[in-house]
Amino acid sequence: MYATCVTLKFTRRCGEAARIADRFNRTVRPSPALGGMITNGCMLKSFKVTEEKGNPLPPQREKKPKTSPCVLRCGTAYGNLLAMDDISAEWMTSPVRDCGSDNDVSNDDDDEDDEEEEPIRKRSKWPDLPIPAPWYGETSKETGFHRSSRLCLNQIRECLLEHRWQEAAEYLISYFQTLEEISTPRQLLATEIIFRLGSEILHQHPNSKLEDVNHFFDLMKNTGVRGYLKISLEHSFHLLLTGNFDDAVRQLTTAESWRYGKQSAVQADKMKLIHAYRGFLSYLSWISKKGSSSEDDDGDVSAIQEMHTYFRQACISLQEILKLPGVWDPFVVGYVNMLEFYNDHEGALNVLKEYAYDSRFPPNPNAHVYLYRFLKRQGSTEKKQIRVLKILGALVPSHELMLELFSLLLESGTEQSLKEALDVLFNLLDDCSWKHSVAAWTCFRNMIKLLRRKKLKHLLEEGWETRKDWWPAFHFRTYHARADFQLSRQLLLMKVVVASTLVGNKCMYCRRKNELENEREARRMIKTHKKRKR
Amino acid sequence: MDEELIGFFREPCSQCSVVNWGVTEEGGYYCKSCHNVIERTVEVTDPSCVTGSRVSAISHGAKKPAKQKHGKDWMVCEGFQFILKQQAEALLAMGVRPELKDDILCNFWRGYLHKSQQAYTTKPLYSVTSQQESDSCPESLAASELSCLSKAETESDMDGARSTISGWSSDGGRLSSVCTEALDSSLYCSARERRMHHLMTMPMTLAFLHLSLLWLQEAITLADLLRFTAEGHIPYINAYQNFPEDMKLFGRDALIFRVESLPSYKMVQEEAHNLAIFLDLPRFPPLTSACLLHPSLLCLRYLMELNLPDELHVWVCWVMQQAGVGKDTFLTYDPWAEKSGLLNYDILASALIVVTLKLLFKLDDQQEWCLSNSADDENKQNQDSSIFCFRKWYKTVQGALVVAKEAEEQAMARKSWKSQKPVYPSMRNKSVVIKRRRVVEQLQAQFQKLTGSDPQPRQDSPSSFRLRWGEEDGGGPSYQGRRLGSAVKKRKGSARPSNPTYWHTALSSCKPRSEKSESLSVCPSTHPSIHPSIHPPILVRVMGVPGAAAKQHTV
Repeated sequence: MYATCVTLKFTRRCGEAARIADRFNRTVRPSPALGGMITNGCMLKSFKVTEEKGNPLPPQREKKPKTSPCVLRCGTAYGNLLAMDDISAEWMTSPVRDCGSDNDVSNDDDDEDDEEEEPIRKRSKWPDLPIPAPWYGETSKETGFHRSSRLCLNQIRECLLEHRWQEAAEYLISYFQTLEEISTPRQLLATEIIFRLGSEILHQHPNSKLEDVNHFFDLMKNTGVRGYLKISLEHSFHLLLTGNFDDAVRQLTTAESWRYGKQSAVQADKMKLIHAYRGFLSYLSWISKKGSSSEDDDGDVSAIQEMHTYFRQACISLQEILKLPGVWDPFVVGYVNMLEFYNDHEGALNVLKEYAYDSRFPPNPNAHVYLYRFLKRQGSTEKKQIRVLKILGALVPSHELMLELFSLLLESGTEQSLKEALDVLFNLLDDCSWKHSVAAWTCFRNMIKLLRRKKLKHLLEEGWETRKDWWPAFHFRTYHARADFQLSRQLLLMKVVVASTLVGNKCMYCRRKNELENEREARRMIKTHKKRKR
Repeated sequence: MDEELIGFFREPCSQCSVVNWGVTEEGGYYCKSCHNVIERTVEVTDPSCVTGSRVSAISHGAKKPAKQKHGKDWMVCEGFQFILKQQAEALLAMGVRPELKDDILCNFWRGYLHKSQQAYTTKPLYSVTSQQESDSCPESLAASELSCLSKAETESDMDGARSTISGWSSDGGRLSSVCTEALDSSLYCSARERRMHHLMTMPMTLAFLHLSLLWLQEAITLADLLRFTAEGHIPYINAYQNFPEDMKLFGRDALIFRVESLPSYKMVQEEAHNLAIFLDLPRFPPLTSACLLHPSLLCLRYLMELNLPDELHVWVCWVMQQAGVGKDTFLTYDPWAEKSGLLNYDILASALIVVTLKLLFKLDDQQEWCLSNSADDENKQNQDSSIFCFRKWYKTVQGALVVAKEAEEQAMARKSWKSQKPVYPSMRNKSVVIKRRRVVEQLQAQFQKLTGSDPQPRQDSPSSFRLRWGEEDGGGPSYQGRRLGSAVKKRKGSARPSNPTYWHTALSSCKPRSEKSESLSVCPSTHPSIHPSIHPPILVRVMGVPGAAAKQHTV
């Protein structure tokens, strides 16, 4: 399980490192705070922002409300840290993810230094075009040393983007001298950049060994003590990725007990994360113990005891982190999983409710998903399930669970709920990711049939009113018919019913459908004719 | 006691690469920052022991006699003298005449020390106390004559100076155990003082070199000098690394000697001019036509570098004659003449070539292509390629330039600026600076191992030419033997360019609203594409436009 989560993180890292290099180039004035706030920083930052402003909606979600079912992950930078099994599945599958998330991640990262410095860029989001960014300018006062390091960073960025690891490593040798930068902000920035680039290159370089990586991380930790905890965390991620679970645990344990004058107090935020991940790793050990103990049913007492120790360790840390507002999806899932195993359903429900409904937390569709799944597992009433799903629908109208909401609403059968079900469907099909979904269109067809039967066709009118000017172009063009036919005939037939009801029998889509059907018929006739001849 | 013991052991900790050792009761070493206890053996250099024997614990008898760690006291100008000496030696190694160092540069330097009252004077700029002034070194130096000294003498002179300085400082009871800065570095740190007394800076060392080279009429132009400096053939960046053992840099010295960029052409030239005025130099000997710095020969060199036909040289010389830039009176430098300035021989030569090309090919984006077409036709008719085709030349040179520029940028990206021996700004920061240096070294070593690359990239030997033509691994075919063909016409027995007019935007009249597009109607004299160093005075003068020449100040 952890393997998947970390793999994801690392598969994305190549682009990320290059982007970081890019971003450092852009920043006009390096902010010292930037040093510690690249990946995990944003997680804490996000709740800080909400605390201060009391504004529950992060900007990304307002901008792109209906992009895809994975809106949450796109909108939040912590996606790359906290990617977990169910999230990861969507990371993998969603085609919209890449461009959307990349933009948002970088925006999120930039929040801190951008707000005052580059308001213009903030407004106009990064275009996905390969335009060279305006960077850390070539000023008349730029010293030769700074020019060298700027050019060197550019070269490394190019190499990273083109996966030329060897060359990037060679340039990095020259880039190390920036560590001896005299001005403190630049020096901090250099530490961060070198740490990012170095770990990325070591991760990808064909000649690098685990000892190299460990040595590098240790060096970096002790060089930039201001980033000690962050680097420790990254180190443990790297160890997880390479399959050294125990080493990763050891890494986090060492980091937990790290003391360095004022430095450890300054990094209190990071320390909380370290604790949380330490707890999470305990949870993972717990899972593996659970798996092995359930195989041999004898119930070895010591094994059970060990399992229980892990459970307690994990519980303490996870409880702590869940008290802080933030997006803690994997932690919540793990915690609830354990509570359920020990039959503490009440506690699990409380945790999930807290996570979903506490207004201090940033709105998080996944929280509602987890709550819904829990309720479903517990077999609670449909009414409760519908209530949770409705909130989810308000956050993400195109969520895949909306089909379940639809069927739940349909089952209750009142006119009001039928109306709501219809709304759900309309909202779902507004999103282009559902455009070719046979299931969604089948639901729509069934809905129409039902409405006809119940003589409630006027309900259709309300939803259609706002969509009649754009749905025909969006769904019911001739080429849509052709494309749908190529995808599946079923889809075409479903959509024809909807199209003829909504737009009319003589719409383009229906006409085209008839042509296609005729062609198909003719082809079949010819085939059978030939067969008979033979 | 610990301090003394630990004094020997300066290795970085293998765990955290900090040098912060403590000694345990058993005499073992442990790192104070990460509490890593190490097993170590010391090579004790104790005369009583057999040399080279390894001892696994530190015996108290192995203490060295308390030696002054900070080195001798020294003056900043000594540091610059050392750097200048090294730079001059580097130039000599390149084949510059030995007079440069012992005659010219040495004299300039002495003159400078005298004028700036740093030595050879009764009233030295820097004095510790009035009491010490009486037996201070500058006086003793002042006795020595301002004469040409050989290298050995220079060094002994330097040593003498140093010994005297340290002599009186120890007498004066100056607290020298903490601070090892140069004695007078505080003077150098105030911009006002620096300007008032004309104190040395690193770019000024290059100005010294430039003036000496100019005086000696050596074939190294300022652009060459700067390029050699950038390529590391002339010590400049971190030149202080090679200071003698007992000249230790500390604190403010870093501000004086640390270099983080190379000075620009203009800056060095200005410095050189100011220096010449300050030194009260006489008029420089005029260039003879046999001297490599003479525009005629310099143009030949640039024509070779540019891969242009040798036949052009005749035309360049003709332009030079017409413009009157080949005369003795022009090719000299008099610091005291009105509106004087150092001549940019390299820019002058390139301007001559540009003007010649414009005379022959017009370069208005039409004529040169027409001429290229006719050259192609002629070559086809003659079944060879003996006629120079501008288009082919352009393509070859353009390609080579792009490659060279890329290589230059990559070299710049890989350039190392930081010194092996860092200078500590203060005692407090010493450990941090050393630690950083160690980390950088360790990281570099690690990645060098990873990439299997050479720690010291090989350096090409210095060369005046950067592009090579007609060789296998050069930039492309050589056009040096080509004839100019139809670009030149025989008229009335003498050769003339077939192109009748000289096209130059700065000389055409300004039409605010021409019938052509808006963008073309920009006043041409402000057109950004014209290189500022080429366009105004030289061209105007070359073309002999009377009105314009009067307005613009001539070179």
